[in-house]
Amino acid sequence: MADVAVTPRARAGGIRKLLERYPFLPALVIVAALLLLNGVFSPNSLSYRSLTGLLSTYMALIMLAIAQTYVVYAGDIDLSAGSILSLVNVAIVVLMERWGGGAGAVLLALALGLLLGLACGLVNGIVVAALRLQAIVATFATSIFFTGFALYILPVAGTPAPALFWRTYGGRLLGVPFVFYILAVLVVLLLVLSRTRLVTQLLAVGDDQQAAFQTGLPVVPVRIKGYLLCGLFSALAAFCITGDTASGDPLVGGKMTLYSVAAVVLGGSALSGGWGTVVGSLLGALTIGLINSVVFFMGTPSEWQNFVQGLAILVVLMAGVLAGRRARA
Amino acid sequence: MSKLKLSGVSKAYGATLALRRGDLEVMAGEVHVLMGSNGSGKSTLCKIIAGSVRPDAGKILIDNRPITITGPRSARGHGIGIFYQELSLAAHRSVEENICLAALPIKSHLFVDRALLKQRAARYIRLFENVAGEGFSADALVGNLRPDQRQLVEIMKALASEAPILIFDEPTSALDRAQVDRFFEILRDLKRQDRGIIFISHRMDEIKAVGDRVTIIRDGETITTLNLAETDAASVIRLMVGGSGDMPASQSSAPAVVDLADGTAMIVHDLSGVGFRNVSFDVAKGEILGFGGLHGQGQSALLRAIFGAGSISSGEVLIGDSRLDASSPRDAIRRGCAYVSGDRGRDGVISGRPIIENVTPIHYLRDRLMIARPSKLRDKVAPALESMHTKFASLFHPISSLSGGNQQKVIIARWLIDRPDVLLLDDPTKGIDLSAKADLFALIRQLAAEGLGILLYSSEDAELLGNANRILVFNGGSVSRELTGADRTRYNLYQAAYEAA
Repeated sequence: MADVAVTPRARAGGIRKLLERYPFLPALVIVAALLLLNGVFSPNSLSYRSLTGLLSTYMALIMLAIAQTYVVYAGDIDLSAGSILSLVNVAIVVLMERWGGGAGAVLLALALGLLLGLACGLVNGIVVAALRLQAIVATFATSIFFTGFALYILPVAGTPAPALFWRTYGGRLLGVPFVFYILAVLVVLLLVLSRTRLVTQLLAVGDDQQAAFQTGLPVVPVRIKGYLLCGLFSALAAFCITGDTASGDPLVGGKMTLYSVAAVVLGGSALSGGWGTVVGSLLGALTIGLINSVVFFMGTPSEWQNFVQGLAILVVLMAGVLAGRRARA
Repeated sequence: MSKLKLSGVSKAYGATLALRRGDLEVMAGEVHVLMGSNGSGKSTLCKIIAGSVRPDAGKILIDNRPITITGPRSARGHGIGIFYQELSLAAHRSVEENICLAALPIKSHLFVDRALLKQRAARYIRLFENVAGEGFSADALVGNLRPDQRQLVEIMKALASEAPILIFDEPTSALDRAQVDRFFEILRDLKRQDRGIIFISHRMDEIKAVGDRVTIIRDGETITTLNLAETDAASVIRLMVGGSGDMPASQSSAPAVVDLADGTAMIVHDLSGVGFRNVSFDVAKGEILGFGGLHGQGQSALLRAIFGAGSISSGEVLIGDSRLDASSPRDAIRRGCAYVSGDRGRDGVISGRPIIENVTPIHYLRDRLMIARPSKLRDKVAPALESMHTKFASLFHPISSLSGGNQQKVIIARWLIDRPDVLLLDDPTKGIDLSAKADLFALIRQLAAEGLGILLYSSEDAELLGNANRILVFNGGSVSRELTGADRTRYNLYQAAYEAA
């Protein structure tokens, strides 16, 4: 009898342990389920070619969700991530065009793009962590500022990116689509980052800022570094969107900001900070991409697509919350 | 040899002086006990040493050299480690990460050295081997641990600083006997290593067991430092209380016996819940029943539970003849309970809204009003506010325009339009000025005279002695002593509160 009574609890404890170690598991299950749904509605959507297309379209959102994750770790938020993306997008497109579009120009423009992303992150970090303004409003304000800057650089969308750049992004290397190399490098990068002292410190700050301060952690520099990482990954997201759309658009990222926040939450991270994984955010971004693709393949009439997308995100969010609650109970 | 010396350290928060004049000298190789009643400034003093509070004035010397501490990091740099009473742990991090959080071992300048971290944390975890209890392991998340285990992690974290000066601010409050014994063995080891240790505890037996000298703080001022071997508990308590400890002046001024002819207002029978257990009492109509004892011994938890804002696991509460099973504050209010908390910001004030809206919500609930008519409401609101001499410019000014005392009067006024049967006061005068306090207690006594049953928890003993007809002293979540009649003296109150749990 005693054994019978103990087993279910032990099993529940096992799931809980597993979820504590890998909080992104529910997101992984949801991604698998969505892939399955895609397959049901359109077997063709699971082909190598379609998946490559999906990845190259949503790589920008994946990067942006990862960018957002590092600030959410520390209990902050960045509503300007999408605007940083737009700004870097137009900046590199204009620079590449001006410098002739050769390999050297492209690389130099990308390097400057990274610096620009870091600079934007630094501005956010100083405004939020050093000046202690409310993150949600302060980064909303800087987002308007960054958008204004982007519009100054390129008032109307449409300047094309050099062919060399977008052909590389959309093309193949040694027979393997280039986005898979990006994904592989990204995974390695995330693994390396997850072992840094900074990530542990970000999570500790997000857990309880006062406790972290009393422990002697340099709270302000740590939060600023979180925003720097966010700016860096927003710039990487801009490279991906530039490769995907092959043009500059000063307003391309505006809508993506809240998608990135949604992806972070769908991936199992806590918006209050201190808890989460970047892999979860990657899966969360894929979830959003797959929902859009399911809606498309289901043949939803275009006027209903937004409605179904919104509902689907709510359903997935609820499923994640329920899974988490069951594990914790 | 003097390890740490503080002289004339002070700290004010706005108008309230948290620490008037703190003096302290800790020698190498001693356990120096700090004693003082609630809010006397012990924790503030510790936080100043640890750098999380900046002092307004005063000198700090370490090894006879004057230093300035600019923050927790600089304090660590000067060799100070601290156990925080309210803990400083990251709930979602593992035990070993928490222990090493302040100085994460790194390799290649960038990465956490997991192997070294594990090894370093294991050294401190091993100190509490066999007493840490079930579920305690190096990789367990701190948030999943029991309160006593969390306290052990905070102890390990303080020890891991390997600082020559260690501060322990009530490190034993949640620990069991075996854990305390192990901790004291460790303290004695540290003493042998010539470290200077500051130790705060409210348990006289612990202080006797491990302390060498004691410094007594009263009302934010250092009174004296004594050798523990040459003194006894009674004289220490007398020093904490002040010279007039058992003089008639410090005795209760409220009448000891109230006329019980009116019947009982509330009966609580064997009530247990989170933070309190097996509490029984009854309060008569017209009686003020005081709850005394140290901070956080279950008084607030009990009041909140009766009001439906906390949880009750067993026992019953009767109002009149019927059971009050308040599942929510809403329910309790309908049944005639009123609750005023000292934490106005969290429990009382509707910030940013006009005064009139802050007075009327209970009236809405009890009379099921649907439509607000300011002209009619004004006639009800004005007398309620006037009965306490509340000062305000107009009813439509935001509540934030008032001082703390006047805000609290507004909060109390909301219960006066429709009279409750029982008034629960949870440290209602926290952070308000003296004249407002006097007005409040005049009103509370008047309400009692009109037949309300009143439960009053106050962290200031003078308020209890001055107003309560009877006093229940709480210790460790249950009532340890009831003081009635001439027993209601400052000395008895302290003694009952500081008795070993």
